[in-house]
Amino acid sequence: MSESFIDESMIEMYLFEMLQGIEQLETAVLSSEKSSEFSLDAINEIFRIMHTIKGASAMMSFTSIASCAHYIEDLFYFLREQKPLRIECSILSDLVFEGVDFIKVELQKVKNGDEIDGEASSLIKKIEEYLARLKQQNAATDDTDPSFVQQSYVADETKAQNMSACENYSYKATIYFQEGCEMENVRAYAIIHKLKEIADEIYFSPEDIIEDDDTVMIIREHGFQLYCKTEKDYEEMQIFFNQTVFLRELELIQLEDDQPITHSIGDQVPAIENIVTAVEAVKKVATNTVTNQSIISVSVNKLDQLMDLMGEMVISEAMVTQNPDLKGLALDNFQKAARQLHKITSELQDTVMSIRMVPLSTTFHKMHRVVRDMSKKLEKDVELQLIGETTEVDKNIIEHISDPLMHLIRNAIDHGIESATERISLGKKAISTITLEAKNAGSDVVVLVRDDGKGLNKEKILSKARENNLLFKPEDEMSDKEIYSLIFLPGFSTKENISEFSGRGVGMDVVTKNIESVGGSVSVDSVAGVGSTVTLKIPLTLAIIDGMNIKVGHSCYTIPTIAIKESFRPKPDETFTDLDQQDMIMVRGQCYPIIRLHERFCVNTDVKDFCQGILVMVEQDGKIVCLFADQLLGQHEVVVKPLPNYIRDIRKIVGIAGCTLLGDGSISLILDIGGLVGNNIT
Amino acid sequence: MAGILITDDTAFMRMTLKNILSKSGFEIVGEAADGLEAVAQYKALNPDLVTMDITMPNMDGISATKEIMKYDANAKVIVCSAMGQKTLVIEALSAGAKDFVVKPFQPDRIVDAIAKVLNS
Amino acid sequence: MAELMSSEFLLDTEEDTQKDKFLTFSVGNEAYGIEIKYVTEIIGIQPVTEVPELPNYIRGIINLRGKIIPVMDVRLRFKKEFLEYNDRTCVIVVDINDLSVGLIVDSVAEVMSIPETEIVEPPQVSKSSNKFIKGIGKVGNEVKLLLDCNKLLSEDEFNVINDLGQEK
Repeated sequence: MSESFIDESMIEMYLFEMLQGIEQLETAVLSSEKSSEFSLDAINEIFRIMHTIKGASAMMSFTSIASCAHYIEDLFYFLREQKPLRIECSILSDLVFEGVDFIKVELQKVKNGDEIDGEASSLIKKIEEYLARLKQQNAATDDTDPSFVQQSYVADETKAQNMSACENYSYKATIYFQEGCEMENVRAYAIIHKLKEIADEIYFSPEDIIEDDDTVMIIREHGFQLYCKTEKDYEEMQIFFNQTVFLRELELIQLEDDQPITHSIGDQVPAIENIVTAVEAVKKVATNTVTNQSIISVSVNKLDQLMDLMGEMVISEAMVTQNPDLKGLALDNFQKAARQLHKITSELQDTVMSIRMVPLSTTFHKMHRVVRDMSKKLEKDVELQLIGETTEVDKNIIEHISDPLMHLIRNAIDHGIESATERISLGKKAISTITLEAKNAGSDVVVLVRDDGKGLNKEKILSKARENNLLFKPEDEMSDKEIYSLIFLPGFSTKENISEFSGRGVGMDVVTKNIESVGGSVSVDSVAGVGSTVTLKIPLTLAIIDGMNIKVGHSCYTIPTIAIKESFRPKPDETFTDLDQQDMIMVRGQCYPIIRLHERFCVNTDVKDFCQGILVMVEQDGKIVCLFADQLLGQHEVVVKPLPNYIRDIRKIVGIAGCTLLGDGSISLILDIGGLVGNNIT
Repeated sequence: MAGILITDDTAFMRMTLKNILSKSGFEIVGEAADGLEAVAQYKALNPDLVTMDITMPNMDGISATKEIMKYDANAKVIVCSAMGQKTLVIEALSAGAKDFVVKPFQPDRIVDAIAKVLNS
Repeated sequence: MAELMSSEFLLDTEEDTQKDKFLTFSVGNEAYGIEIKYVTEIIGIQPVTEVPELPNYIRGIINLRGKIIPVMDVRLRFKKEFLEYNDRTCVIVVDINDLSVGLIVDSVAEVMSIPETEIVEPPQVSKSSNKFIKGIGKVGNEVKLLLDCNKLLSEDEFNVINDLGQEK
């Protein structure tokens, strides 16, 4: 197939729609499975989605996907048309899921630009076998298809009479279609259908064109022959036939006037009733609500661009209103106008942000499938409860939380939840519940994954951490929360529990990594015997943050305001150096380590005495350090930009999250507090 | 330049058709995602030709073709069908569709078909 | 279709006019050349923001009209001595394999044609900075060292460690 018309944006669109369809389909199958019955609506929907996947995939020449979808479509066609009574729901949904998984894997290959090399034949065989079995089991109800009334067409009496007054010509036409135009028999039918308007007596061969699909081969080889009587002259007839789409060759012969045309084909030609009335009406797909929302789909690139521009605008605004030229001038009107400008830019910013916001519901609903597969394989009865799924987060963030959530849920079912017998003996409900909850909390979104299982085992965690040398504090000084948090450290994985689903060498630290990469944090709480709750704190958006700019020598750095607890200038007797030459400070009876930013980042500065500079106390994941800088420059909204690729390729710089442009056009590096804090302690 | 209304429930197929047709010098005057939209857009835009998918939510391509033919007996509708939808194609033709193409189609095929139907 | 063809056509001619063209500049006593197709623009030296933990020849990042790009001091890349920047110091912004990088050089000379016939292979000396040279162009009596941009940007671990060692 020619691929000239396929470009990247189409592949993107293809993937988007296929994945969206698959999501809908999974939802339909899951809810059907729950109610142990595939409703007509669900069958229709699955049929339609598979049909769409087949069409689009064939268009893209992804034959394995197309044929897999085709067989599932066939299966559901049978279900829709025959309404068999005995459907083993779980077998059917397993089969569909298997197909869906196959398609998903192939789509991932498309996304990565890999070869689409999946082999669907064993899966297709399974589907075929299942369909065959269904057909057999339901043979009793299997009426023969309502078929068309036998064909051949004779004009109705009146028309024939009207026409008889006119001069009639007889023609013989042989029509060949282009190779690969498909459904030649239907094309032949189309010609007859049109011909009816201008001709009265029509006979054609092969005659069984609608009933018998083998006629396709006959037409391909020998052409489609027809005889007709009409008042049109030769030229008109030639024009008529030449309009046939996909016509390759036409032989049109005008017959002798009186030659009885029936004769020329002989007995082969049966008479047809009106085909049109014989065509069975299609059962319409249930029309639910006709939502006519005016929604347009926009490519994410454009949104990113808009976001970038918005960022530039925030910077430009700062460049104008905080222009050094204005220093010391009394500009009442200017300030008024500047305030107005600021108001509009922040409103605009909010609007642009809101465009990028997507509800978590799709991500949440994906988890149904995870829970289903897990509970089936582990034979634990688990119910998934979703709360606050309409909570919205930035599009970028959505992509980063799906995997962690999946991991957490698998972990909870695998390790957290007890077997049904154990639950009953403990006096708990046999069916366990996992709750996925999202809610807004200030500038963050909080996502909770809660289970009602056995809870975390402190002793086990501690011994595991001891084994792997992960303890950074004497055990008896650790709070419960600190002990629980150990499970998120890299290298921590309770090996005795390794199973097919969770703990495959990679541990919960994957969750932490993913969430931290979007500026969020993870914590866990647990009550023995009652269950555990993992809390993901995620910023609403990545692109613009509130930051405190600080100066060290000639360099400027930005600290996310969210991490700052306080800032102060210490008195000489508050700071001291411990035995490891680590600077420390005592604040309200607590000791905190100090990071000298000028040393950490190798910059020259004259301010080396704590009392001349300023300390900024920052906290991340419960760890607190004080950053030592020359001075504070002020708090601003800054647009987060990544460091250039070239630099990121060279190395990952610990402690720097990105950079931003300041009002005067200079660049400030945004500090990664998590990196600074973590690095200092371990 | 002939104005064409594309009807398909998948944005991907609409995009494919749009790419193919606009490269061949047709003007895409509208896109509809289901039968209801197609009928409404036909009335609003009066396109020279409509490409019509069959399986669509809300209103299928056959009903939409019927509606359009009711509104404009000279409407030119080309059905885009998947393989194996023989019955439906026949029904669409009876409903007044001028011709059909089978998905997956080659770009020049659909262009040919449209050109022929427009010239008839 | 027509648009497509014309843009292709443009591309062709552009490629033609760029063939054999080099931007020449000086670092120390030597004159260097860089293929013009890599060069996006030439600007004066800008305030550079230092970024920690990088090899010393990467001076940091600059703000090029809202785009943030890294700058490399070619002198330091060639292991020559650091020279304070002055008003002749230039940043040649190059775009190599979709990476935008600014090259800090002593001064920029001109754009000149050096036909392939006038380019010879560099001598096979194992001097380390020679690895950045992919050819030597002869222009009259002068010699221009033609840079291999890919090698200039590509990093070998050995070098990073070395440079870091020197920095400390």
